[in-house]
Amino acid sequence: MAKAPYRPPVQSQIGQIFDTLFLLALVLASLFAPLYLGLAGSGKTTVELSDTSWAGMKQNATMQAQWEKLGYTDGTEAKDGRQPASKLIATRFDYDFSFVELAASALVVIAYFFIVFYWSKKEYREVIDERFGNSE
Amino acid sequence: MNTFALLEYSAWGLSILLGLWMLVDMFRTDRSYSEDLLTSSREGEIEDASAVDPPQKRGAR
Amino acid sequence: MTAETSPANGERISLLRVLGPGHVWALGVGIVLVGEYMGWNFAVGKGGAIAALIACWFAGLLYTCVAMIDSEVTSTVAAAGGQYAQAKHIVGPLMAFNVGLYLVFAYTMLEAANAITLGHLVQTVGAMAGFENTNDKPFIVLTIMFLAWLNYRGVYTTLTFSLVITAFAFVSICVLFFAVQPWSDVYIKHDQLLTGLPYGWLGVLAALHFGMWFYLGIEGTTQAAEEVRSPARALPLGTMTGIITLLIAATMTWYICSGLMPWEYLGQSVTPLFDAARLTNSTLLMVLLFIGTIFSALASANCCINDASRAWFSMGRDHYLPQVFGAVHPKYRTPYRSIVFLVPVALVFAYFAPLDRVITFSILSGLLEYTFMAFSVILFRRKWPLGTIKRGYVHPFHPLPAVMLLVLCAATYFAVFLGYGTQLIAMMVFYIVASLWFALHRYKYVRRGEQFAMPWPKPVGY
Repeated sequence: MAKAPYRPPVQSQIGQIFDTLFLLALVLASLFAPLYLGLAGSGKTTVELSDTSWAGMKQNATMQAQWEKLGYTDGTEAKDGRQPASKLIATRFDYDFSFVELAASALVVIAYFFIVFYWSKKEYREVIDERFGNSE
Repeated sequence: MNTFALLEYSAWGLSILLGLWMLVDMFRTDRSYSEDLLTSSREGEIEDASAVDPPQKRGAR
Repeated sequence: MTAETSPANGERISLLRVLGPGHVWALGVGIVLVGEYMGWNFAVGKGGAIAALIACWFAGLLYTCVAMIDSEVTSTVAAAGGQYAQAKHIVGPLMAFNVGLYLVFAYTMLEAANAITLGHLVQTVGAMAGFENTNDKPFIVLTIMFLAWLNYRGVYTTLTFSLVITAFAFVSICVLFFAVQPWSDVYIKHDQLLTGLPYGWLGVLAALHFGMWFYLGIEGTTQAAEEVRSPARALPLGTMTGIITLLIAATMTWYICSGLMPWEYLGQSVTPLFDAARLTNSTLLMVLLFIGTIFSALASANCCINDASRAWFSMGRDHYLPQVFGAVHPKYRTPYRSIVFLVPVALVFAYFAPLDRVITFSILSGLLEYTFMAFSVILFRRKWPLGTIKRGYVHPFHPLPAVMLLVLCAATYFAVFLGYGTQLIAMMVFYIVASLWFALHRYKYVRRGEQFAMPWPKPVGY
């Protein structure tokens, strides 16, 4: 039982332009939405340093020499055009996370792949049937 | 106006020129050839036999 | 001028087959090498220097799997669009549409990131030379326009240009490596500078996020499939030599930088290799590495335009996207409309979006693509077992690489989740909405049987 091959409709110029613009709008929205909703954060925090001398920041003599060569100074203020290293040293990542959020994110990714693969398989069967004939 | 500002303006100018060149060439190409020929490429043509160089309607630029 | 040329007796235009294995190498390495000049070092920030090295090697393992799998599949599915065409033949249309989007956005975002960096570098030089009110925007725009123009004018010049500047950037890293005398402790002081794992083993996992930067984009070699002279040979050869080059460059880069800088600095540096050259006190090395940085960013953006436009083009050709994008320039034989269309997209991102967001968008798209590849190769071997079709390359130890790739991808998702969780969800929402749009609206314009273009037998089990 060979089915007649599927004949797709021809898309008008306006339809083509509209489809292109839709995709563009979607990309921009997904990139800028988290930014404007204030949800974007890179998880960086600043720790309090009680002692900002080189030794107090656990920097040995070699490290101190390299910092100075790179144009940094100890303490909390800029000195002689050198930036304080303490700002960089105090920046740390915060890796606390909630397991509920992790589980939700994992679920979204897994569900996404599951649905895409499932749907693709349905469409793929149709492609193969048309390409090779549905003789078996 | 210093040298760097001059550099900036020339960067803008060159960008606009290159952009215009592409747009003009695109419109001219679209008008000179039929849409069927332009979109005649097919996937998986490992043999190059059926593909041809179309006759050049325009002089080389 | 006015008379139209119509296709007579089946006349066709296709992309031009002119590239050799060297160009494939340049396409793979050129896109990535910029990652050694900047970006990889954020892995140091996320977990310390030793964590970055572990991440570098784990990501190297991930990408070796990617390269092996890719080489096998692509030596048989030789079509522009690379992984997109693979997905279409192996998994199905909706997956293919998603993969096509991963490719286009991973590369376009990377292109934007490179342009931002280049603009920043030129601005820095201007500021160092004592000019005030310097602006990076004109140089960002010029980078994108110039490279798009180059791509428009033909693939051979484009990739030969990439080959030259990529080779220069790679040699620069080698020169720096020997100049710091790795056999002695004149410059390199690992015993003094390495401080263990500041965040413990969780930091190692988190470092995987940016560890990917050492290699992200190597899989783009497959995009050239319709433009290389002998795809079955050149693609595996170029891809494998590419990943070897990158593994060497990545290890050298880590060795130099971690032996010269305290990790707190290295983890936040914008241009780590250039900083390493500064610490050697040699003006010659500084100039060399500065040019290397510029060249690597240029090469990367250049290859990104090439890859993204090929993927967009092949989707247009199959009507997955409006079919106007499936056009080939009759004289230059490039997908010219796709190239032109992607210019404003890249410009918008390079002009308005912050760098780390652009980079994460790119990394996430890449990650989704690798996850797909692991499943795809298993299906490939199942639907067409060895011997049923001619393969130019067969990867060893199947299914071990696929399983390893999947495990490493899972770990990297977790690494991205640590710190960029909201963006992960935003991306997923984007791909879900796009999938719905495709399945419910766009797919009706697609020819069904015809999109399966490979001369293969019917897959097993259908």
